Amino acid sequence: MTLTYDEGAATAVDDPIAEPAAGRSGRPGYWLPVALVVGLLLGVAIGYLIPRGGTPADNSPEAGFARDMSTHHTQAVEMGMIAYTRATNADVRTMARDIALTQQGQIGMMQAWLQEWNLSPTGSQPPMAWMPDGAAAVRNGLMPGMATPAELEQLRQATGLDEDRLFLRLMIQHHLGGIHMSQAVLGTSKEKEVTEAAQLAINNQQRELTDMQALEKSLGAKP
Amino acid sequence: MSTPGPERVPSSVKVGKTTGQGKPPAGGAKSSGAKPGGNRPAKAGGGKGRKPVTPVKAAGGRNLGPIAVAGVVVLIAVGIIGYAVFGSVKQSKDAATPWEEKAAAISGIVDYRKSEPDLVKGSQHKSGVIAYKQSPPVAGEHNPSWQNCNGDIYTQPIANEHAVHSLEHGAVWVTYKQGLPADQVAKLADRVKGKEKLLMSPVANLTNNVSLQAWGYQLKVDSVDDPRIDEFIRALRINASVEGPTAACDGGITATGTTPQDAGTPMGK
Repeated sequence: MTLTYDEGAATAVDDPIAEPAAGRSGRPGYWLPVALVVGLLLGVAIGYLIPRGGTPADNSPEAGFARDMSTHHTQAVEMGMIAYTRATNADVRTMARDIALTQQGQIGMMQAWLQEWNLSPTGSQPPMAWMPDGAAAVRNGLMPGMATPAELEQLRQATGLDEDRLFLRLMIQHHLGGIHMSQAVLGTSKEKEVTEAAQLAINNQQRELTDMQALEKSLGAKP
Repeated sequence: MSTPGPERVPSSVKVGKTTGQGKPPAGGAKSSGAKPGGNRPAKAGGGKGRKPVTPVKAAGGRNLGPIAVAGVVVLIAVGIIGYAVFGSVKQSKDAATPWEEKAAAISGIVDYRKSEPDLVKGSQHKSGVIAYKQSPPVAGEHNPSWQNCNGDIYTQPIANEHAVHSLEHGAVWVTYKQGLPADQVAKLADRVKGKEKLLMSPVANLTNNVSLQAWGYQLKVDSVDDPRIDEFIRALRINASVEGPTAACDGGITATGTTPQDAGTPMGK
């Protein structure tokens, strides 16, 4: 940042100031303070305009995404582990296991970002506040696609192929919400590790969506 | 309208000049953005290099131009640095405060990590009923199974032996006096529902309306609107985990009832 003032700003200021200086050498008292004030204002303005080299701030979209997506992923892990333990169909159990392990790994990654950025895993903002129109997407306190406590309880209690079908329905809905959130951070963040991870999650979850929809069809009617 | 036409030409030329004068600083900003790398040494050198020039020229009498230039340059630098420092200090003041300090700043919080260091070490698992000195308990031995703590809201009392295990995994356990009016319970539930590393349950004969527990910490308040409830959760949820931020809250006990479920396993006799 300071390099700027040396190479860029310094030479930049030379020309415009030097010219009037030569022309009015008789009355220096008037323009000198004015020039100094203008210089200070310019400096503040440049400081304001220069992009921050630092890490995302506490209420940045990146931090909000890391926190909220951790919460969102946590539920996918929970549903995945329930289905991995309880589902009947081998493909559904494989899918459930894959989703649970992948998303648990991604939670670890997002928690590591927050540590790297010297931010708390807990924020002061309400869920989805980082996302444009995010507050409107919160339903009954839950982020997009998240299962309600009652649906989770159903999943814990379901038996036979009903378990498989309910898992598929809830996880498809969960993925749709998750993809929506990942796309939102792609549109607002330039932080490379965040956008790359979001893109990866979108790609993975879209493939899984297709697979789960095919599985749903093969298992027959939804519960 | 038509008469001032020709006059526009010179005026537009002036505009061109002023914008030209305005450009260099903007150009400077761009160039700085392009090379965010080795800025520090250059700045220090530049600032020092220019200052000595000032007095020498001043001795010459009228020639204040260089002084002004140097002064403006220095002030620009001061502005940039000052703004950057102000911005970063302002931003990081709250965010960079360690969670332990945030917890300590909550009035009325009881810190058992200080007063009972042995209690708050990670504990071995133990089956069956366990007696706790604190009510509700804040740390210590616990059953192998944890209480499910992914924003779970239990409407009946749960077993301490499982809830303490949840605390060890970084959960904040929100408890309220059994029989608290439903609208007040709902206000607490709004803070818990669907959020990992949180669980909530009623406790019979609680001394206050609300008691919050994290591993080694407790805060008792009487109003569900007390702002310290959010402060406690923000400071200690996940952070208070003895097993890091990714310890599990799913796969736990989801049943209510104060009788612990783990009767005797090889892992916790």
